[in-house]
Amino acid sequence: MTKKSWHLDRRTFLLGTGVSMALPYMESMGANVNASELPKRMCAMYFPFGISLPKEGGDLHKWRWFPNGEGRDFTYNESSKPFEALREKVTIIGGMSHPNGRRMGGHDTGDTFLTAAMLDGKYLHNTVSVDQVAANAIGSDTRFSSITMSTDGGVGEPTRSSTLSYDDKGRPIPALNQPQMIFDRMFGAPDADLKARHRRLRSSSSMLDMVLEDSKSLRRRLGRQDQEKFDEYLASVRQIEQRVKRTQRWLDIPLPSLTDEERDVLKLEADDQAPKEFIRTMYDLIYLAFKTDSTRVATYQIASMADASSKAGPFPFREGFKANLHSLAHGWNKPEGAVALGEWDKFMNEQLAYFLQRLDSHKEGDGTLLDRTMVLHGSSNSTTHNNSNYPLVFAGGSGIGLQHGQFLKVADNVPMSNLFVTMLDCMGVDAPKFADSTGDLTAVRA
Amino acid sequence: MPILQSKCFSCHGEDVQEAEVRLDTLSIDFVNDRASVQTWQEALNALNKDEMPPEDGDPLTAKERQLLTNWIRGEIDRAVQMLKSTGGRVVMRRLNRTEYQNTMRDLLGLNMDYARDLPPEGLSPDGFRNNGQSLQMTSIQLEYYLAAARRGLDRIIKTGPAPKVFEHKFDKSNVNNWFNVEIANYLGRSQAFYGKMVDDYPEQGNYIVRVKASAKMAQGAGFPILEVSVGYRPDTKDLWEVTSSVEMTTEDSQVFEFTGRVENHPLPVRGQGKFPGLVVRVRNMYDDYTRKPKQQDVERDGKKQKGYPYEEHMPHIQVEEVEFIGPVFDQWPPALHRAILHESELSAQDEAAYMAEVLERFMSRAFRRPATNAEVMRMVGFYQSIRSEFPSLEDAAIETLAMVLISPQFLYLLEPDSSQKRKLNDYEIASRMSYFLWSTMPDQELLDLAADRRLSKPSVLEQQVTRMLEDERSWRFVNQFTDEWLKLDNINQIAINTDVYQGFNEALKTEMVMETRHFFRELLMEDLSALSLLDSNFAMLNENLARHYGVDGVLGREFRRVDLTDEKRGGLLGQASVLMLGSTGQDSHPIRRAVWLRDRILNDPPAPPPPDVPDLDESNPDFAKLTVREQLEVHRQKESCASCHRGIDPWGIAMEHFDAVGNYREMIRIRHNNEVGEREVVASDVLPDGNELDGMESLKDYLLSKKTDDFANSLVSRMTVYALGRNLELTDQELVDDLTKEFAKSGYKMQTLISEIIASSAFRSK
Repeated sequence: MTKKSWHLDRRTFLLGTGVSMALPYMESMGANVNASELPKRMCAMYFPFGISLPKEGGDLHKWRWFPNGEGRDFTYNESSKPFEALREKVTIIGGMSHPNGRRMGGHDTGDTFLTAAMLDGKYLHNTVSVDQVAANAIGSDTRFSSITMSTDGGVGEPTRSSTLSYDDKGRPIPALNQPQMIFDRMFGAPDADLKARHRRLRSSSSMLDMVLEDSKSLRRRLGRQDQEKFDEYLASVRQIEQRVKRTQRWLDIPLPSLTDEERDVLKLEADDQAPKEFIRTMYDLIYLAFKTDSTRVATYQIASMADASSKAGPFPFREGFKANLHSLAHGWNKPEGAVALGEWDKFMNEQLAYFLQRLDSHKEGDGTLLDRTMVLHGSSNSTTHNNSNYPLVFAGGSGIGLQHGQFLKVADNVPMSNLFVTMLDCMGVDAPKFADSTGDLTAVRA
Repeated sequence: MPILQSKCFSCHGEDVQEAEVRLDTLSIDFVNDRASVQTWQEALNALNKDEMPPEDGDPLTAKERQLLTNWIRGEIDRAVQMLKSTGGRVVMRRLNRTEYQNTMRDLLGLNMDYARDLPPEGLSPDGFRNNGQSLQMTSIQLEYYLAAARRGLDRIIKTGPAPKVFEHKFDKSNVNNWFNVEIANYLGRSQAFYGKMVDDYPEQGNYIVRVKASAKMAQGAGFPILEVSVGYRPDTKDLWEVTSSVEMTTEDSQVFEFTGRVENHPLPVRGQGKFPGLVVRVRNMYDDYTRKPKQQDVERDGKKQKGYPYEEHMPHIQVEEVEFIGPVFDQWPPALHRAILHESELSAQDEAAYMAEVLERFMSRAFRRPATNAEVMRMVGFYQSIRSEFPSLEDAAIETLAMVLISPQFLYLLEPDSSQKRKLNDYEIASRMSYFLWSTMPDQELLDLAADRRLSKPSVLEQQVTRMLEDERSWRFVNQFTDEWLKLDNINQIAINTDVYQGFNEALKTEMVMETRHFFRELLMEDLSALSLLDSNFAMLNENLARHYGVDGVLGREFRRVDLTDEKRGGLLGQASVLMLGSTGQDSHPIRRAVWLRDRILNDPPAPPPPDVPDLDESNPDFAKLTVREQLEVHRQKESCASCHRGIDPWGIAMEHFDAVGNYREMIRIRHNNEVGEREVVASDVLPDGNELDGMESLKDYLLSKKTDDFANSLVSRMTVYALGRNLELTDQELVDDLTKEFAKSGYKMQTLISEIIASSAFRSK
C-alpha cells in the first residue's frame, strides 16, 4: 500500500490541526498501540416474537433454540449450531428479562429491550437506552458517538417503534435503514472544497445560535401543549449544534478509506426484498464502522413488533418460508410450526455468526476486533406474546473483561439491567446502576 | 359489581387476600390511581387466561366473564383516552414527509427529492401521518432539512457564466448487449434502445429528450407505452430513474418530448473504471404479464443473433431517432434563480436593502403569511454577519434562505398566541385548507383572499373548496387519505406466494392501490353517494386490472369507469387491494378482513387479543387440514375466545369466496405438507345479532341496510381526524354527530362533508 498523504503520525496530526482533541484510534497509523488505548465497543441487535421452543424431550426437541445442559457443559441444538465455531467467544443466556416488560402487553416490549422502562401513562414515555448511556460517556472519542439502524428506519410509534435507541430524555433516536445512506454518512466523499465546507459549518453554527435565540420569544407565545412540542424542536437544534461542533473538529481529519476488498463485499444496493443480503450488509456496515473506529456503539433492530406494516414482516417469506415473521412465530410449539420457526432461527443465527466471524477475522492488538466488541443479540419475547426468558446471545469482549463458552441460566429475579451494568462497566463507563438493576452480572466476567 | 362480590371477594376481599390481591377496596379511579389500574389489568389477564376463578372456586358463566372483562377493558380504555387528551385542540404540527416534499417543490419551483433522507414518519393511533402529537422532531431530521434546503438552493442559485450545452442524436443504440436485454429499434417488452454519452454530458440542469417513433398496434391489446429513463450509476440500488412515459395512441410517426433534471437521476462518476457515461434508455413498457419467451437465436437484418422473438400479439414501438439536449435554460441565470434573487440595481448598490427585498418576498411565502419587518430584519442581520465569510452575495444568500427553511415558522403549522382557545385568522385557515386538500402550502389565490380577509365568508369558502378539489393537487388528498384510512400501504408487506398464484406480477399491486384511489376520487369528483364505497355498480379499471378480474374490453393503462355486471365486485370490498390486505399472501385471512372491516369501515374495532392467551391445541395433525373457517369453529369452542370471535369471524367468512389476490373462487385449496386438497368454499355464518351472512352480496346488503350509520360515522370521523391533524376526543362527539347528520342529509356527498368540516368551529379554531 502506498503511503497516503494523511498517513501521518499522531504528533503531526496535532501540529497540523493545531487543536487539542481526542484522537481517533486508527489501525492505519500502524503504531503499536497500548492495549489500554485500544477502543472498547458494544452493539445490540433485536428481533421480535421470540424463538422456537417445542417440548423438552419431545420429537421436535432438536429445534429448541436454547441449548441443552448448563454452564460450560452444554450442547447446542440445531438452530444455534452456527455458533459452535466460536464456542469460546459466545454465551447463551436463558431466563433473563426486564421485570417491567413482564407487566406489559405481549407485543409492546420491543421499545424497551435496551431501556428496561415501563411504558404506560399519557405518552408511553421511554427512558434512556444502554447504548446511549455508553455513547454519551465515550462518544466524543469518535467521529460518530453511535449509529442507530433498523430495517424500517425512523422511530415508528410507541410500543411498535422502529428503533432500539433512546436519548437521555427517553426520546426515540431515528434509525437509518438505507445502506447507501449509512455508508455515505460514514465514508462517502464529501464536498471536495474543504474551505467551502468550513464556511458552511461556521454558518450552520451561527444559524443554530440565532434560531435558539429567536425561539425564546416565540416559545412564550405558544400554548402549553405547543410548548412541549416546540421543546422537541429546540432540543434537536441544540443536538445538531453539538454535532456541528464535533464535525468542525473532525473536518481536517480525512474520512477513513476502505480497501477494495471491503468495498467489493458491500452490497449497498441491498434492500428488504433480499433479507439475507440486507441483514449482512447492515452487519458489514457495523463491522466497518468499528474497524475504522468511526464509532464504538451501534444498534440494529432487525425486525420490529409492527408486524403488518413492517418491511421485515415478510422476511421469512422472501427467504422461501411459508409465512411471515409473526405467523411463523406462532408455531413455536406446533408440529410443523416448530420446525419452520427453528429453521428461521437458524437463518438468523447464521447471519449473526457471519458478523461475529467477520469481527473475529480482523486482528487488533493481541486479539481480534471481536475481543474488544460486546455483541448482544436477542428478543424481548421467548415465544410469541411471552415477555420472559429472553433468548439472548452475548458474544465478544473477552479482551475487555468478559468470559464466554457457557449456557448461562439466570434466575428470573435477576433483571436484564444487571447485564447492562456489566456491559457499561466493560466499556469503561462509570454507571453502577442502570434502570431497575440490582447488581452486576458476575457470571459473564473473566 | 355484584359479580365481583359473589365470585371474587371471598378470596380477594376483606378476610382473605390471596396473592396479596384485595379487590373490594381497590380504587376504581382508573384515571388517577395507576397502581390500581395495574392490578385491574392483572385481574383482566387472569380472567382472559381462564386462571381465575381457580378450579376449586365458584366458576363464572360465559356471560358473567364477558361482562366483567368488558367492564375492566372499557374502564382502562376510557382512562387512557382521558390521559391522552389534548383538550380537543390541535398540537402544533410539523409538516410530514409528503407535505414537506410538496411544499419545498412549490416554494422553490424545483422538482427534486427533498425528502429523500428524512426518516419515515410514525403513524398516529388512528393510522394517519399528519397528527401533530405523533410527528416528532429529531436532530437527524433537522440536519437533513438543512442539507435538503442547501441542496435545492445550490441547484437554483447560480454564479459564474452559463454552462456549455450538450446535444446528441442517436438513430441506433451505441452500446452492446446490456442486462440481458436485446438492443433494438423495434421495441417489444424484451427490447430496449440505449444512447450513451461518454464525456460530453451535463452534471446539472434541465434536459430534454425527444423521441421520434411510430407504433404498431396489436389486436386485443392496449397501446404501447413509450418510456424514457436516464442514468446510470452501477453498484447502486437504482441504476435508472424514469423521466416519464406516454401511451402512443396512434401508429403515425411522431416526436415525443420528455423533460427532467439531470441531478435527479443516478449519475455515473466520471472516470470511474468501466462505466461509460450518461445513458438514455428508451423502452416499451406495455406488458400483459403473460410468460415471457426465452432468449434464443433470432434473425435481425438478415443476421443471426441472440435475442427475443417478437411477440406480435403485443403492441410495438419503432424508434427512429432519440435526441438529448442539456442543460436547457431560458437565459442565465435561469428563471428559478431570478424568481428568488430578482434583478435589481439595488443588489450592487446596497446589498442589505436588496436582501431585505428578497427575504421579505421569500419569507412571506415560506411562512404562509406576511413576514413581519422584525423577522425580515433579523434575517438580514444574519446575512450581514456571515457575508464576509462568503465569496459572493449568492453564496451568502443561499445560507440565509436555508436558515429560513429550518425555522419553526416554516417547518411547523404555527398557530401562536393560543394559550386560550381562539379563532384562527384567515392566513391560518388558508394553510389548514391547503394542507388538508393539497398537502402543500396555500397558493397565491388563497393568500390573496386571506389578505382581503374574505376567506371566512361561506360563499367564498364553498367556491374555494370546489376550486381546490378541481385542481390536480387534490390527488394528494385522495392518495394520502385513502392510503391511510384504508391502510393500503400495508399491501407492500404482503408477499404473494407465486407457487400458489403462478404468474402473479408484483407490479399489479401498485395498480390495485390505484384502483381504490381512482374509485374514491370518482365518487368525490362526481359528487356521488359515499355509500358506493359499500357497494357500486361500476368499478374504476385499466387494462391490467380488468384482465385480472376477467372483465373484457378494457384496453390501455388509463383508469376509467367500467359498468359491472358482476354484483360481487362493486364497492371497496370487491377490490383486490382490500382483499389482498386481508390475506397472508398465500390464502385469505378472514380474521384480518373482519378486523379491517370493523375498524376501518364501521369504526368499531374489536378489542386486541388479550396478552398471553393460551394457544389452541393445534398439535392435532388434522387441524392443519381444516379450512380456515373450520379452524375458526374449533377456535370458538373455547369460551374465552368465543366471546370476542363470535363478533369477528362472520364478517371475514362472508368474504371467503375471494382469495389472497382478489380472485373469485368456488373451491379452496388446502395445503398440508405436500398434499393439496380442495374443499368447497363455505361463506356463511351468523352475526351476534342473529343475522346470517352468506357471501359477499349478502354482506354488502347487510351493510347497506343495517350499517350505513356506522359507516357514515366512520368516514366522517376519519376525515375529520385527517382534516384537523389530531385525534378525536369525547368532546368531539357532538361535532361528529352534527357532521354525520349533514352528511346523511346530503345523500352522503363527500364534497358537502369536506365543506362542512372546513366550516366547523373545530377546523377554524386553535
